[in-house]
This record gives sequence, C-alpha cells and structure tokens, in this order.
Amino acid sequence: MAKLRVLFENGSPEQVIEFDPAKAPFQPDGKPGSILDVVLGHGVHLEHACGGNCACTTCHVIVKAGTHYLSEAEESELDLLDKAPGLTPASRLGCQAVVQGDCEITVLVPRFTINAA
Amino acid sequence: MGRESEKNRIRQSHPVTYEARIEQIIERAPDTRSLFLRLPPSPPFSFIPGQFISCLLPLDGEPVIRPYSIASSPEEPELLEICLTLVSGGLGSRYLFERRIGAALRFTGPWGTFTLERPPAAECVFIAAGTGIVPIRPMLWRALQTASPYALRLHYAAAGRAYLLYADEFEHAAREHARFTFAPLLGGSLLECIRREYLVRDSDRGRYFYVCGVGNIVPELRDLLRRGGYEHRAVQYEKW
Repeated sequence: MAKLRVLFENGSPEQVIEFDPAKAPFQPDGKPGSILDVVLGHGVHLEHACGGNCACTTCHVIVKAGTHYLSEAEESELDLLDKAPGLTPASRLGCQAVVQGDCEITVLVPRFTINAA
Repeated sequence: MGRESEKNRIRQSHPVTYEARIEQIIERAPDTRSLFLRLPPSPPFSFIPGQFISCLLPLDGEPVIRPYSIASSPEEPELLEICLTLVSGGLGSRYLFERRIGAALRFTGPWGTFTLERPPAAECVFIAAGTGIVPIRPMLWRALQTASPYALRLHYAAAGRAYLLYADEFEHAAREHARFTFAPLLGGSLLECIRREYLVRDSDRGRYFYVCGVGNIVPELRDLLRRGGYEHRAVQYEKW
C-alpha cells in the first residue's frame, strides 16, 4: 500500500489517502496512477482544467516528501511547469507525476493557479 | 473587451463557472461541428487567442471536465465558438453532438498557456494537424492584425479537402495579405514537410513555431525543431 498526504496552502484540512498503486487507474483523468488520478479517485479535489492532458498548469503541486518515488518529468511537463506561478524545484503536474510502488508521498497544493486572461 | 484586459493574471483556485447557451451549430466537416455559445453579460469573459474552456458535462451524474479550444477571436466577445470532432467512444463529444440550439452549457476558463497575444518580431510558422487548427485560428488572426514586416506561414495537415477546416478563410487571407502563406497538406508526411522547409532549405534558426494537434505528431515536431537548432522557447506547442 502507498500513502499520499495532501496539504492545501489555502488552509483546507489535509487529506491522507492510502491506496494500492497496482489498482490504478482510479478514474479516467490524468496518467493512470498519477497524483491527480489518486486524489480524484478518492474524492479529493484538485483542479485539472485540461482534463489531465498535460495542457495547463492547474494541477500544479509541490512535492514535500517522497519525490524519488514519482516518475521522472517529461519535456512536455517541464515546458508547462515553466509557466506555472510559484514554480519551485519540487514542482510537478499532478496529472503527470505517477506514484511508483509502495511509498509515502506528501504534496502541497498551492493557493494560486494560472489563468492567463 | 480591450487588450488591456488580456494581461496575464494569477487567480485563486475555484474558478468562476459560466453558463452559456448554444446559439448556432455549423457542420464544418464530416463528424466535425462548431458550436457557437452565447455568453451571459456577466461575469465578463475574456481570453487570449489560443486558450481553451473546460466544459462541465453532466455525465454519469457527476460533472465531467472536457477541454475545448476556442476557435473564435477575443474581438467577438459575446459569441464563443468551439469546434469539435465526434470521437468514437468519446462520452464528451457524443454528449455535445446531442445538444441542440438553446441547450445550456456550463464551463470554466479560459485556460491554457499556448497563446499568442502579440506575435514575436520574427517569422512565425503555425503548424496544425487536424483539429489542432482550432486554437491556431484566432492566433493567426491576431498575428495578421498586427502591423509587422515578418512572414506568417500556416502548414495545415488534414485527411482530405473535406477535413480542412476554415480553408476558405485561410485562402482568402493569403490573397489579402502578401506576408501570409497558407500551405495545406492533404496526405504526405507533415514531419518531412517541416524538416524540408525549416531545417534543410536554409540555416535561419530565428523563426517562431506554434504547433498544435492530436497525438504524437506534436512532440515529434517539437523535437525535430528544437534538436534542429531552434531555441527551446521559440517552439510552442499544445498536444491533445
């Protein structure tokens, strides 16, 4: 079993999800087994305006612990993260970062998302 | 809506939901149609060419998010056009194809960073595959409105003439604007066409590219251009 702890910068109560990564996908959006897939599949809200297609930055999360248990970021993800507000070296897109194996991961959902209008 | 309102801004999560009505439906190609959405007077909606909206579709009782690029321009603020293809097994497109004039549609947005507000001071090359033309259409119109000596080119690959969306508009624009070239590609390799035109023909690596389409052709074009010597950020793309 894996454990995903989700913290919210806007003050919402933290969520802890225990799940079996081998049972992914948990719902249709984002890469199977991604942070987005895990949270949505367990009733926790995370913005994903593009439907988890790696076409926006609204599922931006900052990985606080367990980053080496996540799949490596591909060029498409890095290009989009370049445009994410509040970018940090630990930033990932929730729809692309896949949880690999039994592990414990903590992510922070930043307060802001980008809306270039 | 002026361009003053089109500045990037950052906002808090929990986006505003808009409720529009379908005012017009136009068949653009086999299994491809445009829906024209009449927006309410408030809250105001503004966007940058290239952005998309996220439709909240009531499928299986829960609102399901489906993104659709905006085909119209910000200069037409009250009627928003989205253009979509009926996807086999696609619940979102099937739902939207079943909607009739007058039906309500809820969405959030605009979203996306694949945009062109002002064209760069260099030749711009737009590359579209299939319905990837949708966000590029308003980007191209914005580029054409801007007084500039730089060439604009559109390479647009489609399965056949019947699938070439907005072809009349692009052909008309090519006649009106000497600096704009419309190059439809009906069959043949888009990758090879772009390689020949922009990597082999000359050594100019100062162009900017805007690439959009469905599937792996998009990262393949990105990699071809970046590895061929174009600046990383000179190659903007969106893959659906």
